[in-house]
Amino acid sequence: MNENVKNRVVTILFIIIIFGFSIINIVVKDTEISNTERRKLKQFSDINIKDINSGKLPDEIENYLMDQFVQRDTFRSIKTFFKLNILCQKENNGFFKVENNVHNLLYPLSSKNVLNTANKINNIYDTYLDETNNIFYTIVPDKNYYLADKSEYLKLDYNKLSNMLRENIDSNIEYIDIFDTVTATSYYNTDAHWSQEYLLDTAEKIAEKMNFKDRINSEFILKDYNKFYGTYYGQLADSSIEEDTLKYYSNDIIENAKVYNYETKQETKIYDEEKFNTSMDKYEFFLSGSTPLLKITNEFANNDKTLIVFRDSFASSLVPLFTEAYNNIYLVDIRYIKSELLKDYIDFKNADVLFMYSTLVINESGSLK
Amino acid sequence: MIFSSLTFLLYFLPIVLLLYYIVPKKMRNLVLFVASMAFYFFGEPKYIILMLLSIFFAYINAIFIEKSKKHKKLFLIISIVISLGLLVVFKYTDFIIENINMIFASNINLLRLALPIGISFYTFQVISYVIDVYNEKAKAQKNFLKFATYVSLFPQLIAGPIVRYTDIDKELENREYKVENFSQGVRRFVIGLAKKILIANVLGELITAFSNASEPSVLFYWLNGIAVTLQIYFDFSGYSDMAIGIGKMLGFSFPENFNYPYISKSITEFWRRWHITLSSWFRDYVYIPLGGNRVSKLKWLRNILIVWMLTGLWHGASWNFVIWGLLYGILLVIEKLGGLKILEKIPTFFSRIYVVLVVMLGFIIFNSTDLASIAQNLGGLIGIGNIPFANAESIFYLKDYISIILIGGIFSTPIIKNIITKIKEKNSKLVNILEPITLSVLLVLCISYLVDGSFNPFLYFRF
Repeated sequence: MNENVKNRVVTILFIIIIFGFSIINIVVKDTEISNTERRKLKQFSDINIKDINSGKLPDEIENYLMDQFVQRDTFRSIKTFFKLNILCQKENNGFFKVENNVHNLLYPLSSKNVLNTANKINNIYDTYLDETNNIFYTIVPDKNYYLADKSEYLKLDYNKLSNMLRENIDSNIEYIDIFDTVTATSYYNTDAHWSQEYLLDTAEKIAEKMNFKDRINSEFILKDYNKFYGTYYGQLADSSIEEDTLKYYSNDIIENAKVYNYETKQETKIYDEEKFNTSMDKYEFFLSGSTPLLKITNEFANNDKTLIVFRDSFASSLVPLFTEAYNNIYLVDIRYIKSELLKDYIDFKNADVLFMYSTLVINESGSLK
Repeated sequence: MIFSSLTFLLYFLPIVLLLYYIVPKKMRNLVLFVASMAFYFFGEPKYIILMLLSIFFAYINAIFIEKSKKHKKLFLIISIVISLGLLVVFKYTDFIIENINMIFASNINLLRLALPIGISFYTFQVISYVIDVYNEKAKAQKNFLKFATYVSLFPQLIAGPIVRYTDIDKELENREYKVENFSQGVRRFVIGLAKKILIANVLGELITAFSNASEPSVLFYWLNGIAVTLQIYFDFSGYSDMAIGIGKMLGFSFPENFNYPYISKSITEFWRRWHITLSSWFRDYVYIPLGGNRVSKLKWLRNILIVWMLTGLWHGASWNFVIWGLLYGILLVIEKLGGLKILEKIPTFFSRIYVVLVVMLGFIIFNSTDLASIAQNLGGLIGIGNIPFANAESIFYLKDYISIILIGGIFSTPIIKNIITKIKEKNSKLVNILEPITLSVLLVLCISYLVDGSFNPFLYFRF
């Protein structure tokens, strides 16, 4: 190829690329949501021309163009491939892959937030609980904990986190250590959460410590439900990662339990198939996802016991395994409801209480109210 | 609007190129002027009037300077006062007030005016133009559209190079359009885009990680220093490459702004290779008018320190920039007083290390937000504060970014360019085949990074 031909080829390729992408992006219809990133995409109608005065308009347009770019996922995958495989960088957008398992770079430990979690728990204890309650707390490790010790990735100082909570949470609240009940494979590959399939040991340990193990007698039947991509998949944008399979444990007790959502004022089931089919977050299959306050009622219970779980999303897949042991289980997420309001909904007298927070939430506990 | 955005790359640029090449040649300056106004308006609508005023006053004053032999100096002074006045008001007022408040313990309220993007660049262009007209190096442009097109020309409007009127006065009248030039422009633009997106922005993420680090370590301070040094070079030279490239696509030849500054063997040489249009501007319009080196040693010393203090201040209204400028002023004096001879005698390797180290220390100062962080970021390099040499965090980020640092290091030298030139001498066909492929891959990669909404800061807002 001589210089003249090369110059023509360079010119033509450049024009094809910039005009081509421009035209394709104008012609192709916008999409509303990104299933891989589990979020709504910015729409042209979201752009407010009046924002030109505040200087926000360029960012708004750029965000719209990024969101609506044709084959957005493919281009994001190209970037991920280039970063991780060609440049051998360790992460993309703070996410990384270890043996087909996607992790989030969760670092460093925020002592301030750990103390904040302890204070919130103590505050609830002081406000609502007394000697009539059996009170426990447990820490749900995020999956980075199970990365090999000599892993090249940064992870939280889990010992420090546990010790800080132990030193600062009221001594009447007993700690249940569940770190050794799960392993690296207990978590979904493409999501932050653990898979219920591997939670029997965890449930058993908690039941034993809280003294309700003997009230769980029915067998759990493991069911294959569906394939899905979790939150982390879209964040890393690595198309080589395979889908996870959602499996869940069921039995007659769980099937017949009623779940009342105080926010929507609706009654649902423990496993919400509609949520799986309609929600961007497939993990919402368990107890319909994030919500301030739920009550699981087991009408077949042969006791009038109540369990109150202060929790984040990790509890959604674990707590259903406790259904048989209680007449009522309240699940409280104080990220979405002020703890002062709880007295209007829950009678704390004689209830078992479990504070159950993941290291993900503990380390970013600013949202606990 | 910045070049490294989808808005520019896939919409603004194609539309401008299309309009530019479909209208008759006579209309092309008009297209460029309208496009430049749109480009500026999109990001800075409030201050477009300010730029037009600056253009208008320079246009009128230059005509008066040319016509009025008697009062030409007066018109020159008026023009410079207006241009510099606008720059001082919008860029330096708060800095001046802060220092007055500090010295006199007063409590004057800050104006908190937003800095008009590109004001430092177009002010210098306008000043150089009226001075050139005054010195009869250039003829006053009678056509307002052509003059306004020169000052506001979007490729160089917000981040340089500082194009002098005499650089492109002939091209404003008549430009040559060749596929060869367009193709060179494409190559330059894509390389600049890749420098900005694939290297500078990625290193910017490392700098952010450093500023958010939980525990300091000597290694992380060094990583930050190296990242800042490479980021500023790739960001700034990348932007200049893009400007020169777009200029070529439109038929202009803008002056070069960078010439592998990190291979310099002295600071004197560094400033011949770094931001060339700015240092030559200060040389021609400040240093030489002050008397340059043809004065007493004391005055010469004064001239150098004035020029470098101003160079520092041009980069930002803050003491760290003044210190950064004066550091270079002092080093240049030392080199001129005998340092250069020593540098010529020592092995090249050591003189280059000296330059790179000085430049890195300089950019750490440049990039620090206040005097305390300057001390902290410099002290950290030698472990002041009893900090560990390395920790898990710094080792992780070293592994994460080592490839980019190495690539940055290699591409900041002409090694690859020289290799390609040698291969081309032997096998030009191979290079000619690989060039379009490489450029296309780079362009698609840049688009991929942009689509993923990567870190894409605009470093020139304070210039």
